[in-house]
Amino acid sequence: MAPVPMPSALTFELLGKCSVTKARAATLILPHGPVPLPIFMPVATQASLKGLTPEQLEDQGCKLCLNNTYHLGLKPGQATLDAIGGAHKFQSWPHNILTDSGGFQMVSLLKLAKVTEEGVQFLSPHDGTPMLLTPEHSISLQNSIGSDIIMQLDDVIATTSPDLARMTEAMERSVRWLDRCIQAHKYPERQNLFCIIQGGLDLDLRRRCTAEMVARGTPGIAIGGLSGGEEKDAYCKVVDTCTGLLPEKKPRYVMGVGYPEDLVVSVALGADMFDCVWPTRTARFGNAITHQGVLNLRNAAYAEDFGPIEDGCECICCRSQEIGGLGITRAYIYHVTAKETVGAHLLTMHNVYYQLNLMKRVREAIMEDRYPAFLRKFFRQLHDDKSKYPNWAVDALRGVGVDLMSD
Amino acid sequence: MTDPASLSHLSDLPPEMLEFTILKSTTALAPRLGRVSLPGRKDILTPGFLGNTSRGAIPHISQDNFRKCVGLNGIYVPIEDFIEKMPHQTPPVFQINGSDPLRRFIALPKDRLLVLGARRNPPIPSPAANTNTEVALLTSVGFRSMSSEYYTAAARKLQPDIVVGLADIPFGQEAVGTRRKDKMSDRTETWMRDLIAKRNTIDKEESRYSIFAPILPIERDLQSWYLEHLVDDMADKIQGVGIYDSFLLDSLPEELHHLPRLSFDTPSSPQALLRQIDLGMDLFTVPFISDASDAGIALNFTFPAPRKFSDEPNSRQSLGIDMWQTEHALSMTTLTETCKCYACTKHHRAYIQHLLSAKEMLGWVLIQIHNHTILDSFFAGIRHSIENGTFEEDFTDFNAYYEPTLPEKTGQGPRVRGYQFKSADHGKPAKKNPKAFRQLNGEVKLHAIHGQQPNKKPEVGDMIDDAALVGLIDIEYMGPEIGVEGLDLKDHKA
Ligand SMILES: [Zn+2]
Ligand SMILES: [Zn+2]
Repeated sequence: MAPVPMPSALTFELLGKCSVTKARAATLILPHGPVPLPIFMPVATQASLKGLTPEQLEDQGCKLCLNNTYHLGLKPGQATLDAIGGAHKFQSWPHNILTDSGGFQMVSLLKLAKVTEEGVQFLSPHDGTPMLLTPEHSISLQNSIGSDIIMQLDDVIATTSPDLARMTEAMERSVRWLDRCIQAHKYPERQNLFCIIQGGLDLDLRRRCTAEMVARGTPGIAIGGLSGGEEKDAYCKVVDTCTGLLPEKKPRYVMGVGYPEDLVVSVALGADMFDCVWPTRTARFGNAITHQGVLNLRNAAYAEDFGPIEDGCECICCRSQEIGGLGITRAYIYHVTAKETVGAHLLTMHNVYYQLNLMKRVREAIMEDRYPAFLRKFFRQLHDDKSKYPNWAVDALRGVGVDLMSD
Repeated sequence: MTDPASLSHLSDLPPEMLEFTILKSTTALAPRLGRVSLPGRKDILTPGFLGNTSRGAIPHISQDNFRKCVGLNGIYVPIEDFIEKMPHQTPPVFQINGSDPLRRFIALPKDRLLVLGARRNPPIPSPAANTNTEVALLTSVGFRSMSSEYYTAAARKLQPDIVVGLADIPFGQEAVGTRRKDKMSDRTETWMRDLIAKRNTIDKEESRYSIFAPILPIERDLQSWYLEHLVDDMADKIQGVGIYDSFLLDSLPEELHHLPRLSFDTPSSPQALLRQIDLGMDLFTVPFISDASDAGIALNFTFPAPRKFSDEPNSRQSLGIDMWQTEHALSMTTLTETCKCYACTKHHRAYIQHLLSAKEMLGWVLIQIHNHTILDSFFAGIRHSIENGTFEEDFTDFNAYYEPTLPEKTGQGPRVRGYQFKSADHGKPAKKNPKAFRQLNGEVKLHAIHGQQPNKKPEVGDMIDDAALVGLIDIEYMGPEIGVEGLDLKDHKA
C-alpha cells in the first residue's frame, strides 16, 4: 500500500549515515525549532523536570522534552490547559514538547485499568469513579496540550506476555485506534502525530503492524511496547526488524529507552529518538551517570572524594569555578543528597547533560562516519574488560557490522 | 587617607579586615544606615540580610540559580551542618586542601561574604546541656557536642570571612536561673578569648577571619562582666556583634556602637524585622523566608506599604499569597505585580499552583526565588526610607496596611528533612508530614512501565513505587529517622 500523504508539521533533514551500521544523523525541524537527531528527550512528567527551571533545562542543551498526557489531564486538567493556551505557555517552555497518549501510564499505574475496543477504562485515582480514555479523548487532550509531537493511543501489553492471541488483538486494535486518532486530530498542521508499532516480541506481528502503520503516513513513527523487562536480545531484534521496514525520511522513536548502552546500540540499529525517566529519577537517589557507569554518590566512599561528579564533564556542576562552572564535587553531592532538594537539582542537571552530550557525540561520530570506532571506545570506557561486555550488545552490533570483540 | 603615616599604620594591620561604615545614624536605639565591606567581596548595605543556608545552600536554590536568580551578597553557614562525622572521624570539609575550602565546597562565589556560626538559625534545642568547654549541636545524624577548641580550629581551617563567637545559650529552656546565667557569660567570654587567641596564631599573609561577639539574651547586669571585658580587652579585636535579643540593644555598651549588629533574634514577620531595625539592628538572617516558601506562601509586601485605598479603611492586606489555593489555578498573573524576580518575569500563578499541588520540587524553587527577591526589595525600601527620614512614619503605615502575621500554612510542605523538624521541647519530634499516599500494596516493582527499566545493578537499583510515578513523593530523608530514639547519647561526655 502506498503511503497516503498526511499533513505534517515537521521537516526531516537527513545529514549523514554510518557506512557500516544503520545509524543516521539528522535535523528534525519542529514547530518550536530544530532538534538534532539522534536525540534523548528528558521527561518532565508534570510539566516540570525534577525541580529544574525551564532555563536550567535549556542550559543543559535540551530543546525537546516530554510531558505526560495522563498527568496533565489530571492536573492541571484540560479546561485549564485550554484556558491558558497549552503546555508551552503553562510551563513557559519556548522549545518543543512531545506527549504520550496517556494510555500506557494508565495501564501500568492503575492495576484496575481494563482495555476494550472503545478505549481504556480505569478508576479515577482521585475518587474512584469509573473513567474511560478513548483514542479521541487522548488526541483531544494532546490538542489542548499543544505538544509538537503527539502520540496515538495504543493498546499496550507487556512484551513478555505469552498470550499470542491477546498480542495480536492488541496490535490490530492499535492500528484501528491509529485511524481513530488520525480522524480526531484537529491540528495536523501544527502538531505531529506519531503512530506506535506494536506486536510484542513477535517479529511477524511487528512486520504486519509496521506495514499497516507506515501506510497511514504519519509524520513520524514510534516503536512501542518495549522497555518492559524483555530480554535485550529480543528488544534489539524488534528494533532492527522495524527500522528495516521504515521509510528513510521519517524520524523513528523508540519509547522508554534511556540507558547509555541501550541508546548507542539502538542508534546503530537505526533508531533516532529516545525518552526515559531513569536519568532524572535516579538523580534523586544520588545516582550519577558517567562514562564509567553509574555511581551512587550516597555511598560513603564518596564522602571525601573532592573530584567532580565526572572528570572532564562540562556540565555547569562539574566545570571548575575557574572556568565559570560551580565546581561541585562528589563529596558535596554526598553531603546534600536526600537532605536538601538542591542535591537532586544538581545531579539532575549533570545527568541530563550527560545524556544530551552523549547523543551529541554520537551524532558527530555518525556525521564524520566513525560511529563503529565510537562504539568501541564507548564500551571500552564503560567496561574495563571485554569479558564484561553484555552479550546482547555484542550480538546486536555484530548484526549491523561492528564486532566489539575483534580489535 | 593618603597620609604616609596612616598608610604605614595600615600595612601593620591584617591584610583583609571587615570594615563597617555608618552612613547615617541619629541617636542610639534608632534606625541607622551602614555598609559592610571587605576587600574582594561585594558590599552589603544595612539594614540588610544574609542568605540562611542549610548544608551549604539556601534551601531549594541550587548554586547556579543562586548566581542567576538571587541577589544576595552574603550567606550565613552553621558549622553543625558539616560535622556529623565528628568525633570519630574528621569531617570531609576539613580534608579539602588549598585556600577557602568551605567556600569552594559549597560553591559560593568568591565575591560573596561568608559568615560562619555554630548553630543553624533558628537552632533546634538540644537535649544535652552545654558544658564549660562544649556546646551541644544537632547534626543530620543526631546530637553532638563541640568544644571551643574544635570550633576555633574549624574557623581557622575553613577561612570564612566572619566567625560568630560561640555563645552559651540553653536553647529551648524556658526558665534560666541566675546561676546558670552567670555561667553563660563566663563561658561565652572564655570562648571569645579562645577565638581571638586562635586568630592571633594565623600568619599575617594568611586570610584572617573577622569576629562577631555574641551578646547574650540575658539582662545586662548578668552579663556585665563579659560586656566589660569585651569593651576593655577585646573591643579592638572584634569586628561586629551577634545579638540574641534585640531588646538588649538598649544595653549594648556605647564603646561597641560602631560595630555592625547581626541579629540572632529570629524575626517572625516583616513587622518584627522593622521593630529590630527601629532599634538599630543592621544585619539579619530571615528564616521566615524559607518557612513561607516551604508552606507554599509567596510573600507579597513592600516597604513603604502602598497607599491605602480610602474606601476600605478597615481591611488589612495579607503579607503573602497562599499558592495552595485553587483560586490561582487559572491565574496568568505574576505573584507580585511589581516583582522583577525570575518566577515573576517568566512564570505565572497558575503554573506555580500546579507545581505545588503536583508536589513538583520546582514549586518551592520558584516561590523561594520570589520570596528572597521580595525581602531584597523590602530592605532596599527600608534603607531608602531611613535615608529620607521617613522610617517611623512608614513603619506606622506598614503596620496599619498589612496583617500583623504571615498567613497560616494550609498545604503540605516539602517532606520535612529528618533533622530539620522544629521541636518545641527536648527531643520530641514535631509532627512530620504523613507518609505519602501509596497504592494498597505499597512498593511494587513495575516492569511494563513507560520509561522504567529494571536495573541490573542492585546497588543503584531504585525501587519505584506508584506514588513516585504519580508525583506524590518528593525528596525524602532516606537515612535513619531521628526521633527520641535517634539521640546519640554515647557521644556526650557526662
Ligand atoms: Zn557533570
Ligand atoms: Zn517575584
